Amino acid sequence: MSETHIQIDNVNAYYSGHPALKNISVKIPKKQITAIIGPSGCGKSTLLKCMNRLIDLTDGITYSGKILIDNEDIFDRKTDIINIRKKMGLLAQKPTPLPMSIYENIAYGPRIHGIKKKADLDTIVEKYLTLVGLWEEVKDRLNSPASQLSVGQQQRLCLARGLAVEPEIILCDEPTSALDPISSQHIEQQLLKLKNEYTIVIVTHNIHQAMRLADYVIHLYLGEMVEHGPADEVFENPKDERTRAYINGTFLADVKIDKVIDTKGNQCPYNFVYAKQALHSLEKGQTLKMIVDDPTAVTEVPRGMEADGHVVLSVKQKNITDWEIVIKKKG
Amino acid sequence: MNLRRLKDNISSRLMLAATVFACLLFFFVLIGLYSRASPILSAVPITDLLFSSEWGPTDGKFGFFPFIMGTLWVTGLATIIAVPISLLSSIYLSEYAGNHLRNIMKPLIDLLAGIPSVVYGLWGVLAVVPFIKDTLAPALGVETVGGYGILAGGIVLAIMVFPIIISITGEVLRSVSQELREVSLSLGATKWQTIKHVVLRKARPGIFAAIILGFSRAFGETMAVLMVVGNVAKVPSSIFDPAYPLPALIANTFGEMMSIPLYESAILLAALMLLVVVMIFNILARMVLIKIERGVV
Amino acid sequence: MELRRVEESVFRVLMILSLLIVVGSLLAVIGTILWKGLPVLSIDMITKTAEGGYFLGKGGGILNAIVGSLYLAAGGTVLAFFLSIGIAFYLQKEYSGGTKLSNLTRLSLDILWGTPSIVYGAFGFTVMMYFHMRASLLGGIIILAFLELPIMTRAMEEVLKTVPRELKEVSYSLGATRLETTLRVVSKQALPGLMTGVLIAFGRGIGDAASILFTAGYTDRIPTSLFDATASLPLAIFFQLGTPSPQVQQKAYASAVILLVIVLAISITTRFLSRKYTKYIIK
Repeated sequence: MSETHIQIDNVNAYYSGHPALKNISVKIPKKQITAIIGPSGCGKSTLLKCMNRLIDLTDGITYSGKILIDNEDIFDRKTDIINIRKKMGLLAQKPTPLPMSIYENIAYGPRIHGIKKKADLDTIVEKYLTLVGLWEEVKDRLNSPASQLSVGQQQRLCLARGLAVEPEIILCDEPTSALDPISSQHIEQQLLKLKNEYTIVIVTHNIHQAMRLADYVIHLYLGEMVEHGPADEVFENPKDERTRAYINGTFLADVKIDKVIDTKGNQCPYNFVYAKQALHSLEKGQTLKMIVDDPTAVTEVPRGMEADGHVVLSVKQKNITDWEIVIKKKG
Repeated sequence: MNLRRLKDNISSRLMLAATVFACLLFFFVLIGLYSRASPILSAVPITDLLFSSEWGPTDGKFGFFPFIMGTLWVTGLATIIAVPISLLSSIYLSEYAGNHLRNIMKPLIDLLAGIPSVVYGLWGVLAVVPFIKDTLAPALGVETVGGYGILAGGIVLAIMVFPIIISITGEVLRSVSQELREVSLSLGATKWQTIKHVVLRKARPGIFAAIILGFSRAFGETMAVLMVVGNVAKVPSSIFDPAYPLPALIANTFGEMMSIPLYESAILLAALMLLVVVMIFNILARMVLIKIERGVV
Repeated sequence: MELRRVEESVFRVLMILSLLIVVGSLLAVIGTILWKGLPVLSIDMITKTAEGGYFLGKGGGILNAIVGSLYLAAGGTVLAFFLSIGIAFYLQKEYSGGTKLSNLTRLSLDILWGTPSIVYGAFGFTVMMYFHMRASLLGGIIILAFLELPIMTRAMEEVLKTVPRELKEVSYSLGATRLETTLRVVSKQALPGLMTGVLIAFGRGIGDAASILFTAGYTDRIPTSLFDATASLPLAIFFQLGTPSPQVQQKAYASAVILLVIVLAISITTRFLSRKYTKYIIK
């Protein structure tokens, strides 16, 4: 394994008392693409935002542990977080142009870091817009509002803007989930090109994207890290059952369901009680699929089941109201 | 590089100072008024101050009862007029009216809130007072003091309170979830039944808060009331009587005749009473609204 | 017809009636003031100061009150702006950390918002007496600033809350400080809303009479220094209406028209603002 760039050490995070990340310790390699995968609400974005401490902007969050970047602990209150953030570009889920012109969007970062000369800024703007393949498309309208670009162009602009402060790391939070397939492909190609120069961390729930891009994989599940390692190992031979279930397509094709119960219309704790009764009738190691429509159940039933020692294989949204939870009986 | 940190640091300290100032401002006012009102509180028993009707500052008699009753009559009447009209309007706007009407009404209601109170007072003198004197009072066969009195004050105040109750109630009604309405409608309830049994029940605490805030605004309103209410220091017995509410007392007499012992102190006590009552109302109402915002109620 | 449908119809009629009363009141107030005030409004009225004392002075116009009011409201608004913008910025999560202080500040501002202006006036006058200050432009400006402070701050805070968090995150992730993010990104995005907050506070300030009754005084002249007493439109209406002379009372009507026009202008400008200055804004 190559050199470590970000060392995450025993990180815990709580949203107003609820655990969001539990004892995460992992080393993120330099100049590779690391994908953080897992279902919605598993803490992927929380972990990413810990890395540049944007998590501070979230209400009711507390966190502990250490994240070391170049031997500086960014959780340490004494660390100058502004310098740390300069080292890390962020590509957000939704393209987020700043309320300024295209030119000013790119120039914003360099300007606050002290580059004042127009000629220097012009060079930077052209360089990074070219790097993301946007220069030809926008060079005639650099002064028009960035919000007028198409969504795909906006996302490339955001990438260029992040690169313009010359970071070492690029953090991507589901960077293609708001984009059309062609724009997504564009961004993915950019990232593959950039990994020679930068350490890239990408959060994605799209397993195929992770397979296409990642050199290293971290699988989070309900705030826990269930598996991590080089991408080919994890994808070809996952050690953890939940990872296997997650990877195996949408995603339970391989898992034999032994019993299905429908608890729609029931609220917590009744749906939990019904599920426990259903599990009781099963053999050890058999699986139960339950359908719920109570939002509380989506988080609380898996928690309760895990507390009882069962294994929750997946939690997945079926449609607007219904969720599907697959539980494997302990044994 | 360090200059950036320094700027950030200094500006944040200045902002903190402004914030702390805002926190303390209310206490400055409270303590300032209390310290100036304390001479009369120690010289005259509180029961006399609150429940005596004798007002003769030159003889050292400071009975606030007529003024307190005047305030309550005017404010009470204004609330009785304003609450049904504001609530019905607000319900219509949020539940029945289309977007078009709502977009027209919003600026009008904001404008109603923006008109200065002296302008309302002037309107009261030009329109409401003559109407009561020349039309309403003769028709009902009652005596008025030239049309000035509680009724005129109540009508003018009610209009000033409309925008407050309407806009806060509107926000509260909008915070009731659409699904709740759909559930009721899907059970075969009519729109009005849904509003009555589901929406209004859910919105009740918020509407209560809106009414309190409206009432508290009316309670402290000075100029408009002062101009139409007649200003006679007697306990009123009907809405056609004149009254002399506390804010009017302060506005009319403060700064004059300061040589009379305890007079200034008495007037500042009136201001303190207003402040304390309004403070209690506001805290109460805000507590409710904050709970609604957090989704507790 | 079913009873419940009858009930619904009855209430519908009542609701429409109520709405008509509300709109009717607004039109009645504006209509009456314009009807009484427009005929007496002349060029002289708005270009000449009053002559012969405010109580019995029939000559001249109301320029002293117009200018006085603009001075008072503008001064109060500027003073309140610097306090308010600081407080509103500080109430953001990255400064105050969503702490007890920010909750206390909000509660305090809410109480100040509800505090009657006559109470501010009485308090201000007491403090001024303590420092042996006479009623003056400065006194009026300070009290109006206090009166406007909660209105402006709450309006600004509401606007700042609507700035998408992602925008801030972008700025911070590029290594910007809080001040840079606040001034260059947040303020830019929130600009129309911030200006609206300032205007609303200005409108409240220019229309208030009770707070400046004792603190700003009244005079026939246009003030030449911060320590001069000053006339104002709301007090002009109040005092002039109280005189026995019909000519002086007419000045009150003219003052009311001017005040109403200012308030209307503010109302229209705020509508207009929410459409303009939005070129770069991210929706």
